[in-house]
Amino acid sequence: MSAVNIWERMLNIDRRWIFLGIGIVSIVPFFINFGMPVRTTIEVESIYDYVDELGSENAIFISFDFAPGTQAENMPMAVAVMRHAFYNDVPVFMTANWPLHHGMMLAAMEYVFNPTTEGFYQDIDFDDWRELREAGVTAKGDLVDAWESQGNQLPDGAMGWVFEGRDYAALGYAPVFNLVILGMTISIETQYPIDAHENALGEMPMLQEHKSLREVDLTLTCSGSAACEWWITYAREKIGMPVAFGVTAVSATDYFPYLQTGQVIGQMGGLRGAAEYEVLLAENGITSSTDKAFTGMDVQSVAHILIILLIIMGNIAFFAGGFHKKALLKEGR
Amino acid sequence: MYETIGIWVGAIFTLAIYSFLYKENSIYRLAEHLVVGISAGYGMAITYQITIKPRLVDPLLSGDHWILLIPGILGLLYITRFIPRISWMSRYPIGFYMGTAMGVGFPLTMKARVLRQLEGAMVPLYQSGMAWYEVTGNVVMILGTLAALIYFFFSKPHKGLFFGTGSKIGIWVIMVGFGATFGFTVMGRISLLIGRIQYLLGDWLHVIE
Amino acid sequence: MKRTVPLMIVMVGGILMILQYFIPHQISQTVLAYYTDWAPIILAFALVLGVGSLTRIHSHKIRRKAKNWQYSYAVLIPLFGMPILAHIWPASLSGGMDSPSIFHFLFMHVQVPIQATMFSLLAFYIASAAFRAFRAKSALATLLLLAAVVVMLGQVPIGELFGRWLPETGLWILRYPNLAAKRAIMLGVGFGMLATNLKIIFGVERNWLGGAGK
Repeated sequence: MSAVNIWERMLNIDRRWIFLGIGIVSIVPFFINFGMPVRTTIEVESIYDYVDELGSENAIFISFDFAPGTQAENMPMAVAVMRHAFYNDVPVFMTANWPLHHGMMLAAMEYVFNPTTEGFYQDIDFDDWRELREAGVTAKGDLVDAWESQGNQLPDGAMGWVFEGRDYAALGYAPVFNLVILGMTISIETQYPIDAHENALGEMPMLQEHKSLREVDLTLTCSGSAACEWWITYAREKIGMPVAFGVTAVSATDYFPYLQTGQVIGQMGGLRGAAEYEVLLAENGITSSTDKAFTGMDVQSVAHILIILLIIMGNIAFFAGGFHKKALLKEGR
Repeated sequence: MYETIGIWVGAIFTLAIYSFLYKENSIYRLAEHLVVGISAGYGMAITYQITIKPRLVDPLLSGDHWILLIPGILGLLYITRFIPRISWMSRYPIGFYMGTAMGVGFPLTMKARVLRQLEGAMVPLYQSGMAWYEVTGNVVMILGTLAALIYFFFSKPHKGLFFGTGSKIGIWVIMVGFGATFGFTVMGRISLLIGRIQYLLGDWLHVIE
Repeated sequence: MKRTVPLMIVMVGGILMILQYFIPHQISQTVLAYYTDWAPIILAFALVLGVGSLTRIHSHKIRRKAKNWQYSYAVLIPLFGMPILAHIWPASLSGGMDSPSIFHFLFMHVQVPIQATMFSLLAFYIASAAFRAFRAKSALATLLLLAAVVVMLGQVPIGELFGRWLPETGLWILRYPNLAAKRAIMLGVGFGMLATNLKIIFGVERNWLGGAGK
């Protein structure tokens, strides 16, 4: 067998062997658990610091602008910031720019409010605290006291109470979302007369305190597409609203110009960005431990090494075999 | 029970789709058709419930928001697209959206994507306290933007000191940018796989946390 | 009526909306408020176009018994089943463990895993492409390759093992040369968008009229 044939055979390897390699490196690190530290960057720290400064008199938007396809990257970002806001009693409006993204919003709530999730928040439906609301008890501290004085006890493992309409409003999807953003600069209620649970928005204390985007302090857009730019164009440039990005790694490099101009206050890029936010939450005692994004970083490390090795091996075979001097071989090299 | 059955169904579909890596098969084809049907059906249900019902149907039925007949009728004109004889009427709502959306977007796009970017490209190269790599970075950023713009400017031949050298530097800068994007793309794709492995090993099999 | 009026609607609507931006008078704000209130209602009906053409394509396939026609049922049944289910049990739209429903099940345990897994297949293909197509054939390709490798290593914790310089260099690439390239592209796309906006408003670009009637 000639040397050229060895290189040719190497380059013509059945791609399913490469698939198998990727499969193995994606599974094994979960069992070895290297737990390599994740160093935080200024792009993520600036979002954390901004949210950390907010309190119950402020409000933020988390926009679920991603489909199930990119949930592995975007969901941990949304969940991390949602937990941070709930910890600081910051009211959270949740929107979605596409019907499937509406489902992602509901899935995020399901995760954060699920008693099987470590450090979950105990959710109280809008109807369940109607009496207190009608009695004028709407400030978060008073509300928790009044609620607990009625005999309600925070379940074991829960991080705190969250009251629908006081701590969060699930607004969901509305068509032509760029114009919905523009409309919300005038009135949130006009765009969403009811929320995803069919509660009247006008009755919500958090809406009465924050009637339009002008009275909201930040939007985090967790986006799997260019929809995040709508928040820049229609909210940031229209009314100067602070915007933060939580974007997929594929598009993260495109948005560095927005970071440098200050049009976005910070950016979480891909799973790494979400892992950094989880580290910040855990280091500051806001969560008891890191979550899925951080856990995935070991696999990320090993998989990157494998892909770099594949690039190197492919190049060695290509040049050592002398294929750079020849016409294209089969398989389109 | 509901959750358990759900996770089993999800896991079976996940494995069925991964079987595509070995060979295309009928379960994969079924799954890709289901995705189209469910997402469109979900979209219809949500759109009606969140938008059409509370913002159009309910106010009209309450009897005191007759002005909403205007957007209602304009919206219904979309349906004429399926009636060949009057399909031209669908151009009215499309035209309404096209014109107004372009108009609304024009000044804001100008600000977001042009004016702010030009402003961002005009920064001092050096300020006290800056590290050397930041100063170098600023030089690369400003000259790099200019060079990359020259590369994209096809109205003049890429010859001479300004256009020739400029476009050459430009393509080098663009290649570094594309390299960074490729690196991030690899990262993103692996992340999506990590999500599924966590689902299979964690949510389904409970062998990892 | 068929072409001129829609073109007039586009021009008048476009100019009106540009002007309202520059005239922050109460009247212009009211126009904007009505517009942003009505536009989502109108555009909500556009979904019918998508659903209509999906139905037409797949019912046609079934009628003609075209190749793989059986799978078209997998599109049509949930397409109409989902809204019917949501109508029968409106609570299921809210989703959640509190109100288990077939609607929620189909989304959460069929749609989500399928779509997420389909996207994750790309991890395997990008690895294969890295081996087969990523070649340092020229100086430019080598530069692209080096930037990619530095950024890839810099973004993962294992990159720290090579020393602090590696992640720092990766971030420097992202923050400066990458930014320069992306800003140039952003400016180009921005000018393109603005030109297209004006072409549509002034009727130079008319493709949107489509072939519906003459």
